[in-house]
Amino acid sequence: MAAHLTAAGVPPARVLVLWCPEWPVPPDPDAARTFEQVVSLVEDLCPKVEVLWPGACAIGARGPARYFGGEEALAGKIVEAVTGGGFACQAGIADGLFAAQLAARAATPVTVVPPGQAREFLAPYPVSVLDGADLDGEGMTELLPRLGIVTLGDLARLPASQAVNRFGVAGGIAHRLARGLDPRPLAARPPSADLSVSTEFDPPAPLAEPVVFAAKALAERMHAGLAARGLACVCVQVQAISEDGQEHARLWRHDGLLSALAVAERVRWQLAGWRPDGPRDPDGPGDPDGPKDEANLGGIVLLRLTPDQVVRAHGRQLGLWGDAVVSDRVARAALRVQAMLGHGAVTRPVPAGGRGPAEQATLVPFGDARDPERPPDRPWPGRIPVPVPATVCQDPLPARVTDAAGAPVTVTGRARLSAPPARMSAGGGPWLAITAWAGPWPVAERWWRPQTARRRARFQLVTEDGTAWLAAVQDGHWQIEARYD
Amino acid sequence: MFDIVRMGTGISQVRRLAGEGNCNGVSPTDGPLPGYEALLASGALPVLPALGELLPGGLARGSVVAAGRWSLLCLALAAGASVAGAWCAVAGVPQLGVSAAACVGLDPARMLLVADPGTAWPQVVASLLDGCELVLLRPPGHAPAQVRRRLEAVLRRCGGVLVVAGDWDGAQARLLVTRQEWAGIEAGHGRLRARRVLVAADGRGAAARPRTQWLWLPAPDGSVGLADQVLSEMQDAG
Repeated sequence: MAAHLTAAGVPPARVLVLWCPEWPVPPDPDAARTFEQVVSLVEDLCPKVEVLWPGACAIGARGPARYFGGEEALAGKIVEAVTGGGFACQAGIADGLFAAQLAARAATPVTVVPPGQAREFLAPYPVSVLDGADLDGEGMTELLPRLGIVTLGDLARLPASQAVNRFGVAGGIAHRLARGLDPRPLAARPPSADLSVSTEFDPPAPLAEPVVFAAKALAERMHAGLAARGLACVCVQVQAISEDGQEHARLWRHDGLLSALAVAERVRWQLAGWRPDGPRDPDGPGDPDGPKDEANLGGIVLLRLTPDQVVRAHGRQLGLWGDAVVSDRVARAALRVQAMLGHGAVTRPVPAGGRGPAEQATLVPFGDARDPERPPDRPWPGRIPVPVPATVCQDPLPARVTDAAGAPVTVTGRARLSAPPARMSAGGGPWLAITAWAGPWPVAERWWRPQTARRRARFQLVTEDGTAWLAAVQDGHWQIEARYD
Repeated sequence: MFDIVRMGTGISQVRRLAGEGNCNGVSPTDGPLPGYEALLASGALPVLPALGELLPGGLARGSVVAAGRWSLLCLALAAGASVAGAWCAVAGVPQLGVSAAACVGLDPARMLLVADPGTAWPQVVASLLDGCELVLLRPPGHAPAQVRRRLEAVLRRCGGVLVVAGDWDGAQARLLVTRQEWAGIEAGHGRLRARRVLVAADGRGAAARPRTQWLWLPAPDGSVGLADQVLSEMQDAG
């Protein structure tokens, strides 16, 4: 063992990573729910499973490997069990999580990197694999190849001080990773104080939404407690106890530091995936259609968050509100409504660029970062003219527009009308005479991308009741896009 | 029909609102505005200058203003407070045109939207009133008297203003668009440029005297302005 003890510290613990290549990225709640079955299968063999993200999980390999008679045997058993459950998977064992993740991806189906060989194993990988480690290192992986550092081996050969000098904390972490070490030195001693936070629900919370909301506040409290001691957590254990006494605990990992919203999102995934009856056998009785929905949980009475892996904080700000403008009073009101209706129910509009009325604003859930998808300060030729409509249909309303003879009005590819529009009916409503109209204004958008390309011709119509409409014809169908209320 | 050139006098009252940005490239002004403290202390929320005749005292704190149905008028009523630095929440209007709101003067940076408050809308509105000076609500149906009384009590307690896109028995002020005419568009040419509306206001107490006013809603640049009455009479005669 002593042979690979280096001046930089002890080598990281042996880690096994199980990776299911077929899981969707980014994860959705359904995927998280199904992945719970994989975790259950792994848990049958080794108790402490850490979910990296839905699609990959990690376990400490040392103890289980001794029990099962070797690392290859352990990895083989796990892959066999999970494959037997109907999920394709690969496993990798190496020193430290980073190397084990890459080993899992290299595996067919099992790769074991011998102890002390992580650096050699990592050396041929391009530095771009560091992107997966979520380092915050502003464009580091793009810059390194231009400096002639193409592989992790090249990076590991640099003196550590150089990497830190040039790229700061992220550079230091990348350098440690490249050398096959743990990204951060572990905190020297376990935290003496109890840093876990919990909340009780009385009466029990039958729905996931209030629990998720409480988790957001809990996570903030936990972060505050950690921050007061100069610590930060890399791993968090989410423990939920239901009304009938069942307990469900899961370790969640987030490379880099967790934000309160990220924790709440993981609590949501965990609750969505919780099957209170607990059968792991897909053919077992009482579980005919896979996961139960949350109504069967029987109410949550306790939620506890425990920071599981604690490292020294490197001074990253955990800002829940990116925007200092929001006063406490407004934030409290918005949070209360979010607790009632869900995170996405309270939004703030962000002006965005676009031609159609619906594209000119993005609605961002309160508390999320407010970055417009499309910059509003571009010209957007062909956008609808000012004044803009006050009522924008969320889904365009199907409409019928006819000429004086009652025949549907059509527009040719060269934007020529078959006849002047005379009457219209929106969404199956009454027929109204058209007193004034303008158009067609042809719009051909994103013709370079067949999936999102569309060609339409817009019209403004004024009907006898004084209402003005923004209508569009696409593929011969009339739609109401907005109303000038 | 309409002569857009002759209507210039009416449009001259139009004022530029909401910072430097034009109608579509809105530039939200961050942070409370200079007059924000004064706003917090005053007994009423300001309204746009064009609505000053209709609502002489502004929007009294703790009051309900009913604005008929959902239209640009609701947004115009809320815009004055937003210009002064207040937060506005909009509940029950999933189809809100954010650009149009920005054009009449509402600052999108100080807006909260609750597209679907669901069946618990009275609680949602009460929570929003705790945080925002002005809440624009389109109730899902006719509000029962008990719900109305509870919300009015919340209003008085936190000193907010509720603008209702719909009917509200016992509203302190009531505004209604009684006529509307679009300008700039004809059969096959032109485009929608501005709308002239006749707004009628009545109410209780100080606002009891019925008033009417011709407004540009919206004016050619999307904002709100006073329309020339003489012109409208000429129009009626012709």
